[in-house]
Amino acid sequence: MRTHILEQVPSLAGLYGKALGRTARAAAPAMLARTPQSTQLPAVRYAVEEVPVDAAHLGDYQRLLGEPGTDDLPAGYVHVIAFPLAMAVMVRPDFPLPVLGMVHVANRVQQHHQLHAGDVLRVRAWAEGLRAHRSGTQVDLVVEVAGQEGPEVAWRGVSTYLAKGTTLPGLALIETDDGDSRASAEASASRSREGGQMPEQTAVWDVDKHTARRYAAISGDRNPIHTSALGARAFGFPRPIAHGMYTAARALAAVGTARGPAFTWDVEFAKPVLLPSSVGFGLRRRETGGYDYAGWRQRNGRVTFTGSVRPAA
Amino acid sequence: MAQQPRNTTSGKATNGKSDGDKPAAEESGRRRNSGGRERATSGSAANRGKAPDQPRAAIIGSNRIPFGKAGGAYAEATNQDMLTAALSGLIARHQLQGERLGDVVGGAVLKHSRDFNLTREAVLGTALSPQTPAVDIQRACATSVEAVNVVANKIRLGQITSGIAAGVDSTSDAPIVVSDRLRKTLLRLSRAKTVPQRLKLVGQLRPSDLAPVAPNVNEPRTGLSMGEHQAITTRQWDITREAQDEVALASHQNLAKAYSDGFFDDLLTPYRGLVRDESLREDTSAEKLATLKPVFGTKGEHGASASMTAGNSTPLSDGAASVLLGTPQWAQERGLPVLAHVVDTEAASVDFARGTDGLLMGGAYAVPRLLHRNGLTLDDFTFVEIHEAFASVVLTTAAAWADEEFCAERVGVPSPGELDYDRLNVTGSSLAAGHPFAATGARIVGTLAALLAQHKEQHGGDEPVRGLISVCAAGGQAVAMILEAA
Repeated sequence: MRTHILEQVPSLAGLYGKALGRTARAAAPAMLARTPQSTQLPAVRYAVEEVPVDAAHLGDYQRLLGEPGTDDLPAGYVHVIAFPLAMAVMVRPDFPLPVLGMVHVANRVQQHHQLHAGDVLRVRAWAEGLRAHRSGTQVDLVVEVAGQEGPEVAWRGVSTYLAKGTTLPGLALIETDDGDSRASAEASASRSREGGQMPEQTAVWDVDKHTARRYAAISGDRNPIHTSALGARAFGFPRPIAHGMYTAARALAAVGTARGPAFTWDVEFAKPVLLPSSVGFGLRRRETGGYDYAGWRQRNGRVTFTGSVRPAA
Repeated sequence: MAQQPRNTTSGKATNGKSDGDKPAAEESGRRRNSGGRERATSGSAANRGKAPDQPRAAIIGSNRIPFGKAGGAYAEATNQDMLTAALSGLIARHQLQGERLGDVVGGAVLKHSRDFNLTREAVLGTALSPQTPAVDIQRACATSVEAVNVVANKIRLGQITSGIAAGVDSTSDAPIVVSDRLRKTLLRLSRAKTVPQRLKLVGQLRPSDLAPVAPNVNEPRTGLSMGEHQAITTRQWDITREAQDEVALASHQNLAKAYSDGFFDDLLTPYRGLVRDESLREDTSAEKLATLKPVFGTKGEHGASASMTAGNSTPLSDGAASVLLGTPQWAQERGLPVLAHVVDTEAASVDFARGTDGLLMGGAYAVPRLLHRNGLTLDDFTFVEIHEAFASVVLTTAAAWADEEFCAERVGVPSPGELDYDRLNVTGSSLAAGHPFAATGARIVGTLAALLAQHKEQHGGDEPVRGLISVCAAGGQAVAMILEAA
């Protein structure tokens, strides 16, 4: 895999524009001409050597998510500033899946040590693990971030996306429930290990379009499924939906300082959080350390996401 | 002021000087001596493990205004109005006009930012010497029990010889603020230098930014109301609807009886036409309480078993309460009685945000620790006052006290024993009286001190007569306090 160095982390807004164009261009020929689709991910790793942290931006994030206003970078904030580089990989012409409409199904972050506002970050991003899934094709977007502490990776994120209904010929179906290294598999496995029982409610979140707009403004993720009723309907949702990583990051904030400086933070998204909605949230201490959490629709108890924050092994 | 009280010789004659305006060094010397003497003559079990020569903090009297219902008799009164009224009654009853007290410690939970000096402003509106200092504090619903602790500690340290602890809250006159976006924009506007800059800022405002924001007493970290939090705790501790309604009924019956017995005659000053607590329902019954629909914990999978109603939850209230404390010497010099002493106080907090304990279960930690430190069990108390935020808080707290495993494993001290409900809130509590957040602690301390004095007077004897207080508060907090009849 070759490394391609970019000047800066590209803006998500620009990337979405690119993705839209690509979807429009790709749709017609793919259907009409049966162009052979690639089963290969781009063999390129994107890198940005110096990503500064903007203190005011960090403060906006901390206030929205309920993180303490210190100079520590919340793990969810590192995702916000680093993930667009993975998005840049996804909008490459040789990326084999349609970017828009892909569903974020799971996310795992391993934080090895705490990053700080004064750090100048080095970011790497690539795609791996293209695999068939019973309802489409899955892929992992990996982002690694290092700070000033040294050359080693301080933060590693694996975001698992599903291209629903997209099948690529020649890809073997990999069942993700048998304990391989994928984020989604680990998240569900960790839950079943604890007996599968839902945590008791510890909070309620009122999530509405203002919340989504604020997270969109901070993360740059203005995907129309989050910000526009029309856009949401175009992708099959009755109403706009909350950003998955907003809910996961809020869960992480709820665990608070009990997460320590080094931890693994997992989330699995079961159902979208439609806007506006009241989300029930529960946090439960794990026998083996850390916390399990779950979110559900307050109205009917339907689970929208589950996950855990566990101390690093 | 640096000397430690314990360094002085106990039993020395006091100099008998009698005013609050003496230079600090002279005053503290006198107080330490007198305190030491008193301590030596009252070697009760409650003093086990205590430094023998600390001055004691005496509760001399209390005064509150009747508590109003939200939007009721005090709908137009401000926090400052009500606090001034409560203090004025206390001052009149104890003839403190023109006195310079050591300190007045008070506060409110729902507080307008213009009330930054609420207690001092209230003091300036009373007949106290304008040279009486005041400080605002806040510990949510435990604000004024904490205020009592602060005043008592200052007295015990020899810093002051007299003081008032007070609290006030209004849910009717609650502060309403502008949205954060409007506020930030207005602040930036005031810093903007050019017209285009200003126009740009104004242009960023959306109609929704202009809507006023009412105060929200939901827990900031969880978004859940106290009632929703306690509904979870209620289920976790298997508390029945019947048991809760029983606590509520007893609260109304006990408060009504206390009024008709004249118990509150010396503890209360009518205000704005109110002579009794507006939430008190003398005519309520188990049957009536049983007809009320649950209002908390009604959603979700356990909704069908919801048991917390408007009848067994405290109503939103307006009111103020105050307690006068001093050294026994200070009281004696003015011919004032000493009702009780503050023995010890413990604050506790629980990890509610991560679901380890219920939001209002701080008392389950504060009381066992406090009693263990003082070598006491629940049996050593003639009266127990548990703030009835909800009837269920009384029941879950008492259940935790009696739970040996809970106390040993979670609190790390032995169980203080089973609560005898006949000793609980014998003149009613917050369910019937109402609960103006910061006023509740002072109401309870004032009530309990009067109860202890009355019991001692009626029954005599050398055995210590003790009372226990447990007040839960937002943020998973609680304050517990031991009083002993003088």
